[in-house]
Amino acid sequence: MTVTESNGATAAAKPAIEVNGVDFCYGSKKALSDIHLTIAPRQVTAFIGPSGCGKSTLLRCFNRMNDMVHGARVTKGEILVEGVNIYEPRLEVIDLRRRVGMVFQKSNPFPDSIYENIAYGLRLAGERNKKVLDEAVEQSLTAAALWDETKDRLHESAFGMSGGQQQRLCIARAVAVKPDIILMDEPCSALDPIATLRIEELIHHLKQDFTIVIVTHNMQQATRCADRTAFFYLGEMVEEGPTTKIFSTPEKQRTEDYISGRFG
Amino acid sequence: MPPTSPDVPGRFLVSKGILRIDRFMTAAIRLGGLGIIIAVFGIFVFIVSQVLPLFRGAKVEETSAIPFAAGKAPLVFGIDEWAELPFYYEGGSEVTFVDATGAKPPQTLPLTLPGGAQVTAASYISADQLVVVGTADGQVGTFTVSYDAEFGDSGKRSIVPSVTIGEFYPVGTSGGSIRSVGYGDSGDSKVAAAVQESGGKLEVHAVLLRQKRSLMGSGKLTKEGAYDLTPLLTGAPLQLRVPRTGDSVLVTTAEGVVDYIFLGGDAPEKRQEFKPFGEGRKIGSIDLVFGDVSLVLTDDLGEMSIFSLLVPEGGEQRVFVKTKTLPNLAGPASFFARSQRNKLFLTGSGAQVSLRHSTTEQVRWEKTVGFEVKGAVIDAKCASFALLDSDGNLHRYSLDDPHPEAGWKAYFGKVWYEGATKPDYTWQSTSGTDDFEPKLSLRPLIHGTLKGTFWALFFAVPIALLAAVYTAQFLRVEVKRVVKPMMEIMASLPSVVLGFLAALWLAPIIESRVPSVFLTFAGVPLTAAVVGVAWSRLPAQHRARLRPGMEWVAFIPIMLVAAWIFWSLGPVLESWICVVRDASGNPVTDPATGRTVMDFRAWWPQATGTPFEQRNSLVVGIMMGFAVIPVIFTIAEDALSNVPASLTAASAALGASRWQTLRKVVLPIASSGIFSALMIGLGRAVGETMIVVMATGNTPVMDWNLFNGMRTLSANIATELPEAPVHSTLYRTLFLGALVLFALTFLLNTAAELLRHRLREKYKLV
Repeated sequence: MTVTESNGATAAAKPAIEVNGVDFCYGSKKALSDIHLTIAPRQVTAFIGPSGCGKSTLLRCFNRMNDMVHGARVTKGEILVEGVNIYEPRLEVIDLRRRVGMVFQKSNPFPDSIYENIAYGLRLAGERNKKVLDEAVEQSLTAAALWDETKDRLHESAFGMSGGQQQRLCIARAVAVKPDIILMDEPCSALDPIATLRIEELIHHLKQDFTIVIVTHNMQQATRCADRTAFFYLGEMVEEGPTTKIFSTPEKQRTEDYISGRFG
Repeated sequence: MPPTSPDVPGRFLVSKGILRIDRFMTAAIRLGGLGIIIAVFGIFVFIVSQVLPLFRGAKVEETSAIPFAAGKAPLVFGIDEWAELPFYYEGGSEVTFVDATGAKPPQTLPLTLPGGAQVTAASYISADQLVVVGTADGQVGTFTVSYDAEFGDSGKRSIVPSVTIGEFYPVGTSGGSIRSVGYGDSGDSKVAAAVQESGGKLEVHAVLLRQKRSLMGSGKLTKEGAYDLTPLLTGAPLQLRVPRTGDSVLVTTAEGVVDYIFLGGDAPEKRQEFKPFGEGRKIGSIDLVFGDVSLVLTDDLGEMSIFSLLVPEGGEQRVFVKTKTLPNLAGPASFFARSQRNKLFLTGSGAQVSLRHSTTEQVRWEKTVGFEVKGAVIDAKCASFALLDSDGNLHRYSLDDPHPEAGWKAYFGKVWYEGATKPDYTWQSTSGTDDFEPKLSLRPLIHGTLKGTFWALFFAVPIALLAAVYTAQFLRVEVKRVVKPMMEIMASLPSVVLGFLAALWLAPIIESRVPSVFLTFAGVPLTAAVVGVAWSRLPAQHRARLRPGMEWVAFIPIMLVAAWIFWSLGPVLESWICVVRDASGNPVTDPATGRTVMDFRAWWPQATGTPFEQRNSLVVGIMMGFAVIPVIFTIAEDALSNVPASLTAASAALGASRWQTLRKVVLPIASSGIFSALMIGLGRAVGETMIVVMATGNTPVMDWNLFNGMRTLSANIATELPEAPVHSTLYRTLFLGALVLFALTFLLNTAAELLRHRLREKYKLV
């Protein structure tokens, strides 16, 4: 792996996401407090931490998926995606989500064909040209390393695929709309080791074109595929830095305790 | 319990109690399920068993043949209502009664004719047990053959006949021998007519009598006039019939013409002459069926037609028009007997005997008997008939035909009923008179059911589905938690309350404010659409003031104001358009205010030629729609809410708007559930009774006019059940209505289930 090199090469670029002093509440319960974080473009950033620490909440703030949750809101601070405050009233949330794609914990293909699943996002944007769609489907499936397995059954139901394939289909679906950032919320937690490995390879491959933020419970996964890692604990971000550093010489005691398996 | 091997530890064994409960519950559930299936099937079987007799033909069996008038030449014969003591009359001074059971020898009762006249013609009016006779000296008179049942000490019934002589009137030229007679008695006016031989020529004469009635009972019979009808005839008279209406005479002539002569006016008037069978054909027989407004005519070849008295379109007077054609007889009808209960008649030619029904044009029963039939008579109960053969034997038959007016044609076909100007689908099961022809077409009722359902769903489906979509996908959860149970409470409102409201509160409001209702129904959705579009064009920072799902806070006041404005604009619209005009086309002015009358109620019938009723489909549509909305809403909302959040999230994360997510993900997946909701709503509307009974006016009409009423199958059962005697035709017809309703919902539900299944297969989430 060439984690440190790529880290050094892109650190100076304009940040993809900036989180400035964000507090987040579910009703009266505070889920995140005073988070400061910068996510560099074209890199894989992993959020780790025990359950309920707020890592998924923060991830879902980046494309405002939390809007759909009753009583959930950012109470302090701001989140900038490529320099734009995404909680600004003027912002169309639909535009934000076209630029910040998401892959969920459990694969969730639509009850439709493989082709239509990939074309969905493009059709939403009003794309009707069959040729453009065909091309985008092929590109996205190739990018998700799924083309060879599915090219002969593009018009069959997506439910005929294995779990790992379905998850890669969901990645391909996110890739198809060409976002800048892809958020992944524990994408491998429901998969077996081999399928997990393929997804991880895919993530490694995708970071050339996309900024990837991945939430994971699996510390090995973070070491395997993330350039930088942020450790969250009880709604606070304890530490953030290059993955190798976090896992070898963390600065905070709690990080040390967590990665060495003393709690979590 | 199976034997357990000793090495299974006790803690792994299921206790006997649990096993017992388990087995008991299994059996109980199985029994319950089976019970439901049997119950539903039992209901179905019961309904079918009630309906089946309607489609059976007549059952006729010969019970006995007795020597009756051997060697005699009876002019008329008749039978009592128990069919035990038939009589015959030869024209002399005695009437002979023959005991059909053979227990007693024949007995005779004396008959004293005035002046010892000799009877040359006679006819029998079975309904009145009246024998009409014409004498050789030109008199027409009547005598009654009546039967009384007496119960002796042993309780055994014996029938005692009696003969009462009536009045005799000279008809036509005195002394002319009478060839055939007719007599019609409508109560206060009577007509006696005769074909009389006078100087080698046949003449027709009639006498019109009026009975003055007063509180003290029937008054004196006065002779209104005696007429010589011969000049009015088309040719030489053959046969003569006088309907019970007591106002006319029907004469057939040798040229094959029927002359209809009306005596109800100041002078005899020939209303109509018609050739029932075309050029060159002769009339074989002419007879009247029960009710005396329909003629059964046969020609010399046995072709049979029915002519009914009706006012043709564009005409002013009632004339005979050919309404039906029945299967041919073997030849001209040689005998005719009619039922006194319904439109059945027994006729035939020679040895052929045919039992027919004039409404349905059906041959109920037909047989060629082994003798030539000289005459026939049906008893008063229509439970038997008797045929007289040429040897003077009386053949008695039992007759079992309780539902002759039923049949596929009567229920589903167009029937040309008596008095109607054209064949039509009509429902009118009962009337004030006994000789009424029941009109049992189910088509108006099926039509009414579909019409009511259509308007109810037309009103309910858009509101219910859009409300469900909004509640499930847009509305904030905390509001939804209030809205959903409210709608479910609405579903439990008793429909009798809704019907009551519809009839007594809504109908008068709608009646007076039709333009307002229309403007509001058109205007509010239009306003909603316009406001919605305007809202979506607002810059995001203005829209963000209301959180997603709270937009209704801004919308509801706008909608209320819009509704109020459109409601108030109704009368304005009415005063523009609805100018009521009088017959010459000038606007009508109100004498009190001097202003032109602008009224939708009066304008609609003028403008469209269709009626405007207060109890109309609009009222039912709204109120039944109101009953159906919660049902559709609740089920559709459940279906929409059950679409996995993971899929809506996936769609949203790809940059779909709420509407796009709804249209592309939620609606397809929820489609089968929404479809179920629609079907259950449809089922509710089809079977809904109380609202329709109370708010439709229950008029069995067949049109799609929004401002006319209707009668549905369910409302028909509810309204007519009290009038239907058990096992009568109406009773069974109501069951047939239930069966049709059952079949209707069964077909709709089966089709819906198949479609729903396909939808579910298409969008299943595995």
